[in-house]
Amino acid sequence: LNLTPVPIPVLLAAGSNAALVTFLVYTAAVLGLAAMSNRLLKHKSFVSEYFLGSRGLGMWAFALTFAATSASGGSFTGFPAKIYSHGWILGLWIASYMVVPLCAMGLLGKRLNQVARTAGAITVPDVLRDRFESKTFGLVAVTLIVFFMSFNLVAQFKAGSLILQILLADVTIYQQAAQWLGGITHDIEWLRNIDPGYLLCLVGFGVAVIVYTTYGGFHAVVWTDVMQGVVMVLGVLIMLPLALSLVGGLDFATRQMAEMIPPRTGTATLRWTEPPTSSTRPINAGDWLVDPQPGDELPRLFKVLKPVKLTPGQREVERVAVLEILTPGDRHTVLQDTGQGKIRRELQVVAAQIPPPAAADSAFDGRGVYVTGPGPHPASHDGFLPLSLAVSFFFMWAISGAGQPSSMVRLMAFKDSQTLRRAIFTVAMYYSLIYFPLVLIFCCSRVLMPGMDQEADSIMPTMAVYLTSRTGVPWLAGLLIAAPFAAVMSTVDSFLLMTSSALVRDIYQRNMNPHASVRTIKYLSYLATLLVGVVAAIGAINPPEFLQDIIVYVGSGLSACFLAPMVFAIYWPRSNKAGCLAGMLAGFAAHLAMYVGGIFAHGSFFRPYRVLDFDPIIIGLAVSFCTTYLVTRITPPPPEHLVRKYFFKHP
Amino acid sequence: MPASLPATIPACHCELAMPSQEKPSATQYDPTFLHARREAIVIFFVWLTCMVWSVSYCYLNGYLDNDASEFDAQSFSITLGMPTWVFWGIAVPWLLANVATTWFCFAFMQDDDLGTSPEELEAQRQAAEHARRAEETAR
Repeated sequence: LNLTPVPIPVLLAAGSNAALVTFLVYTAAVLGLAAMSNRLLKHKSFVSEYFLGSRGLGMWAFALTFAATSASGGSFTGFPAKIYSHGWILGLWIASYMVVPLCAMGLLGKRLNQVARTAGAITVPDVLRDRFESKTFGLVAVTLIVFFMSFNLVAQFKAGSLILQILLADVTIYQQAAQWLGGITHDIEWLRNIDPGYLLCLVGFGVAVIVYTTYGGFHAVVWTDVMQGVVMVLGVLIMLPLALSLVGGLDFATRQMAEMIPPRTGTATLRWTEPPTSSTRPINAGDWLVDPQPGDELPRLFKVLKPVKLTPGQREVERVAVLEILTPGDRHTVLQDTGQGKIRRELQVVAAQIPPPAAADSAFDGRGVYVTGPGPHPASHDGFLPLSLAVSFFFMWAISGAGQPSSMVRLMAFKDSQTLRRAIFTVAMYYSLIYFPLVLIFCCSRVLMPGMDQEADSIMPTMAVYLTSRTGVPWLAGLLIAAPFAAVMSTVDSFLLMTSSALVRDIYQRNMNPHASVRTIKYLSYLATLLVGVVAAIGAINPPEFLQDIIVYVGSGLSACFLAPMVFAIYWPRSNKAGCLAGMLAGFAAHLAMYVGGIFAHGSFFRPYRVLDFDPIIIGLAVSFCTTYLVTRITPPPPEHLVRKYFFKHP
Repeated sequence: MPASLPATIPACHCELAMPSQEKPSATQYDPTFLHARREAIVIFFVWLTCMVWSVSYCYLNGYLDNDASEFDAQSFSITLGMPTWVFWGIAVPWLLANVATTWFCFAFMQDDDLGTSPEELEAQRQAAEHARRAEETAR
């Protein structure tokens, strides 16, 4: 999800302001839903309603809020980009989603909901605190949640803003507003280097999410999740037949992919056939260059990766960053298809230095890597998905998904066990309609739109516009490109509410002022949600670079901390405070150690050290489960009244 | 609908240490806890089966050898438009996982009483009080 806004005339191609209209309609809809849910707050217990929806979620609301929260922006930006870059192996990368609903909802759902009701718990730290009657445990859990969520909120705000920026890139009003904002921020020292377009989108995205989450609370989040979930699945279901029909069938697409050779990056020296003047069009990123080869029907084909400044009178330019397309079929597609960008025939390629990728085997040209495992990877001889990582991802999505506090909160909110049964089934069908079809759609995009390897993060909106404009329905582009935006929004609002609930409920109400009035709690809840959102948005003004890496670190870290203690707490009567607390801290430490080890082993925190090539999530979970079990065994059993309260029949 | 099951299962996995008490019998445990634990064990084995099937099948049939020097695109096997290893290693188990999920949700998982939270009890109490007052006013 390393999103980089690319100046692709995405929406201009669609011939409409579809993105702007989509965004405005969208914002109006979520604010309307927030107003409706705010009315509910007046009739029910405020804290329970604001943070947990009064434990009354029905099947559709529960299923879609669970699905939409889990499907973050990565599902519609990073995932399609990975399919485009690595091919069919992404089917195996995402395969564990076949059991994610069963695992993430079924493993803990029924029992966690029961324990939370018994304890009267509103939040995840509440559950642990009451289950073991330990203030310390509750505070440790809150600290870990706030620590991880702070990073994640900043990353998700950045993701949302970048997606919005990509979508609005060619909308005139947006450009004018960005220009106006740039004039203001130019005089402010700490904003001078920030792209005003990004800043504008951050404000638009931030205000919308913060306002509706603050005002409406949990029900606003759930109802907007339902709407966003519907948008996501509609987007995929519309794109699939369009992609298959345009590519000429899946069979044809796979055969074409089997012939593909990964493109290579390098530099080229270019010469103008006529000396350039001040009116000559500069060399832009995305321009195509051809280099005819004697005796070869097809010329060599290059795509310019970075723009080059024009110097009047200078006929030759050296070291222009280019991508060489090596597959004959792809070259044919680009040369025939005028929609692929302008071919700069007035420029000659004098020389090209295209070194083989670092990981390449000299005897193998790479043909077939898009239809086989482990998939192409320019920097690793082991490829994209070696066996150890394939196993890791079955843990990552299915097991780690069960350990996310944001999912656990939803598991505490459904109405009854019949709702849970039906929701698991619904989410299973929902994920089947989204994830596997996405693999098919973006395998087709590899054939339809060659040469997007360096800008793969924008493949989703680009593909949406490509499909709709070529099938005569450009107005559909707005709906399709709303899907990734909806995905990020539905994740951010949940994280926002979770962080504010940790501050108000877990820290203030339960530790500082247990007798606070409803009115105080109400205004503190509004204030906390607002403040957390504003602080995260400010953090996202100048966010860290490694967006997707932060999201992976936070997701796997939370699971390493929370899954084992929660499983033991609700399923093992012998479990005690010492064991579960030790397991939580050990999971955190082991997981963090892998990342710190990455600094020493690879020079970067975000390139973690991998024991036997497994992802840190596996090490974190293994250490956490073992520590919880062993420490529980060597420490005294839990008090009898707690065991009776949570595990025994009650008259 | 969920199959009818006994309310308890043997307590072989439910070691409970209560110093001042003898071990409780299985019938003393909350049936919701016992059902949920049994369901969690089944889910774990479904996950394990899916992982072993998908990863091992795809690895054995879909991965290029490390020392491969060429790839024959013409003889590459495709089923229903996708590589055959994707069809048998991902699409088919995904379909079967959905069948297993359907069976789990509609034939195996129990409908259990999840209890009543304190705020729900309070809401019920307030509703009853409200109804009582309304009745008194009407009189």
